[in-house]
Amino acid sequence: MCKKITAVLLSIVLGAALLTGCGAKGAYPSDDIEVIVPKGAGGGTDTSTRGLLTYMEKNFEGAKFNVTNNPDGGGITGMVQTAEADPDGYVLGAVTVELDMFCFQGKTELTYESFDAIAMPIGAPAALIVQADAPYNSIDEFVAYCQENPGAVQVGNSGAGAIWDIATYLVEQEYGITVSHIPYPNGTADIAAAITGGHIDATLADPSSFMTQIEAGTLKCLGVMSEDRMTLLPEVPTFKEEGHDLVVRAWAALVAPKGLDEESLTALRNAAKAAMESEECKEYFLSQGIEPLDYIGDDAYQVMADDYEMYKKVFETIEFAE
Amino acid sequence: MLNNIAAAIASAASPMTLLLLIVGTGAGILIGAMPGLSVNMGIALLYPLTFAFDGVQGIIMLLGVYCGAIYGGSISAILLNTPGTPASAATTLDGYPMANKMGQPGRALGLSTMGSMFGGVFSAICLMIFAPQLAKVALTFSKAEYFALALFGISIITSVSSGSVLKGLMGGALGLFIGTIGIDAMTGKMRFTFDSTYLIGGISFIPVLIGVFAFSQVLSSVESCYDEKYEKKDVKIDRVFPPFSDLKRVMVTLFRSSLIGTFIGCIPGTGGDISSFICYDQAKKWSKYKENFGNGEPEGIVAPESGNNAVSGGAMIPMLTLGIPGDGATAILLGALMVQGIAPGPLLFTNQPMQVYTIFLGLLLANIVMGCFGFSLIRVFSRVVNVPKEILIPVIFMMTFVGTYSYNHSMTDVYVMVFFGILGYFMNKTQFSMSAIILGIILGGTAEQNFSGALMMSKGSFSIFFTRPICLIFLLISVLSLMSPLYGQTVKKIWKNRKENRKG
Repeated sequence: MCKKITAVLLSIVLGAALLTGCGAKGAYPSDDIEVIVPKGAGGGTDTSTRGLLTYMEKNFEGAKFNVTNNPDGGGITGMVQTAEADPDGYVLGAVTVELDMFCFQGKTELTYESFDAIAMPIGAPAALIVQADAPYNSIDEFVAYCQENPGAVQVGNSGAGAIWDIATYLVEQEYGITVSHIPYPNGTADIAAAITGGHIDATLADPSSFMTQIEAGTLKCLGVMSEDRMTLLPEVPTFKEEGHDLVVRAWAALVAPKGLDEESLTALRNAAKAAMESEECKEYFLSQGIEPLDYIGDDAYQVMADDYEMYKKVFETIEFAE
Repeated sequence: MLNNIAAAIASAASPMTLLLLIVGTGAGILIGAMPGLSVNMGIALLYPLTFAFDGVQGIIMLLGVYCGAIYGGSISAILLNTPGTPASAATTLDGYPMANKMGQPGRALGLSTMGSMFGGVFSAICLMIFAPQLAKVALTFSKAEYFALALFGISIITSVSSGSVLKGLMGGALGLFIGTIGIDAMTGKMRFTFDSTYLIGGISFIPVLIGVFAFSQVLSSVESCYDEKYEKKDVKIDRVFPPFSDLKRVMVTLFRSSLIGTFIGCIPGTGGDISSFICYDQAKKWSKYKENFGNGEPEGIVAPESGNNAVSGGAMIPMLTLGIPGDGATAILLGALMVQGIAPGPLLFTNQPMQVYTIFLGLLLANIVMGCFGFSLIRVFSRVVNVPKEILIPVIFMMTFVGTYSYNHSMTDVYVMVFFGILGYFMNKTQFSMSAIILGIILGGTAEQNFSGALMMSKGSFSIFFTRPICLIFLLISVLSLMSPLYGQTVKKIWKNRKENRKG
């Protein structure tokens, strides 16, 4: 009995201490900021978020970010956690392109509208990669080949219904061709092995896992699905240049739960802007094999909204194979 | 090539890396020497620590733990007649008699140290020679071959579950079931998720591993603590370097066991425990001193110890080249590699040659460090067999929680770990094989995904599995190995009869 009373008393005291702690806030930030990354440690989302935060700390007086990873449920749990946190600026999170897809796959109700965007440091586009000795040397020649051999070309992706698979569906739809979709659910390293070993013909995926083979001359890249050409592959045209408005990118953005006051939000965006403009930050990203983006605030939010509309249409019009 | 090797030497020999290697190996030997702490448990517990280090440094530390723990198991096997890890169970057969009956614990420990180091170094060299070759061959492996390989790994279940084949199969089926939970990566459909967001991503492997290997073991230790009286064992160790006459006597056994151990390590789903028994058995068969086995025969110590340490290099061959782990320990190493951005597979050798050579060197150095520790500090390490369980158990209990949580910072993972720990405790009591469950989880997904993937490539035709020679060979071996309990006895009988006939 005595123990119970002590426990109750203790929790009251601790609770009160917490409340006073919250009340006594000065200029933002006066306390550590928690950042929830909805992916495991070491992946592209984690690396780029941590990288951005490291350089933001240097440009944001008094800020200290603590990253926690919560990859449960393929990232849904972590993103929901961020959305449901108090919008006081002390809980931020990373969201990924899956945010715009999960809601159409019945996995969650959450959409991009629950967040305010701070910055988007990474957005890897889908690239059409084929064997170097393949008989096609451009997107058009590849398409012509597919038209002559319907269903024969095998295109690797990282799992049915995942982003690179959707990119393949979009190409099929746009050009009116059919290919075989071959999933490699362990990720792009397996696709790279399969395409180098000649087991599949092509892939539409983030080119960073294929750079060594492209540089060694065993694979070649025919086109990328980004707005502009990539620094890593300056020779390769975009699908947009060729007159086909296909932009598929695996992005990750730093966001705050909706409702954060304008002042704090601006402070965060300015810090992110200063960080991403610094040379050392850019170098860090490139050393990690990531081509850094510089989308801040509304620019980042626009990408989240655009992709939401795109995937809405994708999931309405495309019938996925069972 | 050459500058990659130079860079790898620079990276592996940097003071920080060497320090981590020494710490890892030392920790591994201690973990291995304490009865009740297994190799897998040691690696699983220290795994989260490696996130703190960049690149391959953390991996090298785990390699140290891996080698050290396999070796450490022999210390308590020899001194207490209790194997520190299952991999050293065969070492008790001759190690304990030599230490106890013959009163030569130092000689026994020296022989086991030498055997372990030789086996480990031998397999590390095999890894360096064969892995790059296999990687070239592995590029020709498509989904059909990967399916056959994974199936072969799973089929080993019937031989690892030494107790009951039926219980082994049940454990394997449970593992396969756990592997199906979550989004089906091939179709994107949900399976057994019951609207829980945690289950969408599937049940993570690490909590299950720590649960069934560590938590459940600690529960058993708590139980056995009650009827056990704490007895301090005084061990006097005379000399540690084995005399020349011993070296001469065990030379052939050393090579044979290292070769067998490396080969067994290559087979997905096997491990040090199987290897040590097979090596012991083979050593006895070929030995000139057959009658002396079981009474403190030097070959009987060297054979299982070189055999189980040789597994380390062997198990890394399929792990690095194919991304298929050879045993539970390499399964965790595989996870650690991916976290550090190193993607195992046939392209690893062309994409990240520097990291590959660093791992090779790390394994080699880990075995050498292990040997140096063994020969110089064996008196210190042999004291851990006297650590009372009252101290050990709470420490491990805490580490299972900390380790599980720090893996993903997920409290749900901790609940999963406790659930599987309690489940594992009861399954241990009823003689289920934990390895069978782990095998099912590790290889079930690989087998299934590659099976349906192969059918996608062949547009639904099953002929893809029978027209590719490598695939067909592995499928046939799988059937043979799965059925081995059915015909194993008959084959043994026929052999026996033949031998007797020849004698008569």
